[in-house]
Amino acid sequence: MRKYWSIFKISFEQEFAYRLNFILWRVRNVFQILLTYFLWSTVFTGPGTQIFGYDRAKMLTYIFGIMIVRALVFSARAMDVSRDIAHGDLSNYLLKPISYFKYWFTRDISSKALNLIFAVVEFGILFVILRPPFFFQGSAIALVAFMASIILAILIYFFLLFLISSIPFWAPEIGWGSHFLVTVVIIEAFSGALFPINILPQGLQSLVMATPFPYLIYFPVEVYLGNIHGSALTGGLMVAAAWTGILWFGLNFIWQKGLKVYQAIGR
Amino acid sequence: MNRAIIVDGLVKNFEITEKEPGLTGAIKSLVSPKKKEVHALRGVSFTIQPGELVGFIGPNGAGKTTTLKTLSGLLYPTSGFVEVLEFDPWERKPEFLKQISLVMGQKNQLWWDLPAIETFELNKAIYEIPTHVYQENLKELVTLLEIEKLLETPVRKLSLGQRMRMELTAALLHKPKVLFLDEPTIGLDLVAQQKMRDFIYDYNSKYGATILLTSHNMDDLVDLARRVIVINEGRILFDGALEELVTKYAKEKIIKATLSKEEGIADIEKIGKVKKLAFPQVILSVPRAACAVAASELLQNFPVDDLTIEEIPIEDVIRKAFKSGLSK
Repeated sequence: MRKYWSIFKISFEQEFAYRLNFILWRVRNVFQILLTYFLWSTVFTGPGTQIFGYDRAKMLTYIFGIMIVRALVFSARAMDVSRDIAHGDLSNYLLKPISYFKYWFTRDISSKALNLIFAVVEFGILFVILRPPFFFQGSAIALVAFMASIILAILIYFFLLFLISSIPFWAPEIGWGSHFLVTVVIIEAFSGALFPINILPQGLQSLVMATPFPYLIYFPVEVYLGNIHGSALTGGLMVAAAWTGILWFGLNFIWQKGLKVYQAIGR
Repeated sequence: MNRAIIVDGLVKNFEITEKEPGLTGAIKSLVSPKKKEVHALRGVSFTIQPGELVGFIGPNGAGKTTTLKTLSGLLYPTSGFVEVLEFDPWERKPEFLKQISLVMGQKNQLWWDLPAIETFELNKAIYEIPTHVYQENLKELVTLLEIEKLLETPVRKLSLGQRMRMELTAALLHKPKVLFLDEPTIGLDLVAQQKMRDFIYDYNSKYGATILLTSHNMDDLVDLARRVIVINEGRILFDGALEELVTKYAKEKIIKATLSKEEGIADIEKIGKVKKLAFPQVILSVPRAACAVAASELLQNFPVDDLTIEEIPIEDVIRKAFKSGLSK
């Protein structure tokens, strides 16, 4: 355990080595939130407007909920894995008595800790400026379920990212393209990071809910808001847990195959 | 344990995608990729005793690095048997990994933006080195490699030679029993090369560590390795003492003489093959067996000021060996 604590610390230091880079990334996040906020604010200008069952307060809480959940789930470092494989830097880790998965998970956690600190500060500032109507969840069950859904979301995202990053074992040149497709297009659209999934038509909605993506953002936020409860809540948590298991097995399978064809290039 | 490393019939094939030059080539390889099987190792066998220092020689692409990578568990062998310290490297058991180290001249494990000491501290945790042992080892390595003043400098600001010494420190903090060195002196200046060689020699003799090194630098091998393994196109061509390689494959010796008078110098070619004739110096190549006779003839019949008999330089022996494809 101590070794991973050391990795956590050095990873934290590394993030600070690129202060400007980090600040710009946070600025980007704030802009993204502002953009989504003003978009939906404009849609809901008329008093009493209701769209897809969301009124202004609920929609704006959703937007702010996204901000925190995003910082927790989407701040990850594991996309660097594809570069490690393609450039042969993976060798450095394979030579050491550490688990490569745990190594990156630790680095992810350290990145999340740092991002969460900043997200909370940004949240505070934006909250004071915009004074949105915000819903604070009081039910203990909802909060516990929210925590569980967040942990599952973090694991699902980690496994997904790692799986996509494993493609360079077989196609070393492909790294960036697949990341763009999966992390930017698919995950942004179907995780609920841009809009709540339940504004989609019913058929498409059920289809999306069967994929792992909505359990990254949409599901945890809705659980926090108290919009999902009872059997829908347990069912949702079970689907998320099932995806976590499937992805974990898939990842292990792919890595066993991948390491056998790994060429340890770069000399 | 009387064998540190056992390799038997090791074969490693790679599959690579070939691409023709240019944009059309890129598109073609995208539509119908042309796969080609590369035979990096075609049945390599050798054993190494604990404490031995063995040098690997061979041209680029001969399979030296592939062998080291397979021995350290990075590559999965296509077929054959590999055992290092009684472990199967491929399983990468922590107890195995804690006893080995692979240093590659151009791959670095140091955290680029942080001072090297941070990487050392991290390795201390990863290898679970007790604090007092770590401090002792670090102090020793830092003194030997003369890097005490550079520990706090971010790695990206170090020169190549300084960085290589940091790499070596990071790789040796856990005192590996088996050390694989891939081109340890590549890109270093002469002074730094010598320092690196001295260090490797000391590490081997002081801790009885088993060391396998590859190098293009003949000085590395002459200074360090008593035993060499010559490898070409994935096959072992020679395995034995360095001197044996020379006597076996260098059929001739070199006589260098300095003459005092130029007259009659043309007759000198009766004694041996003239490699260079630039008065007052003559360099002759004569068969090993006839060497003594040739030297005395030279002394009797020519006005010789000075005379030396030398072995053919090791580089030439090896170059010749690869050219003629020397057989066992």
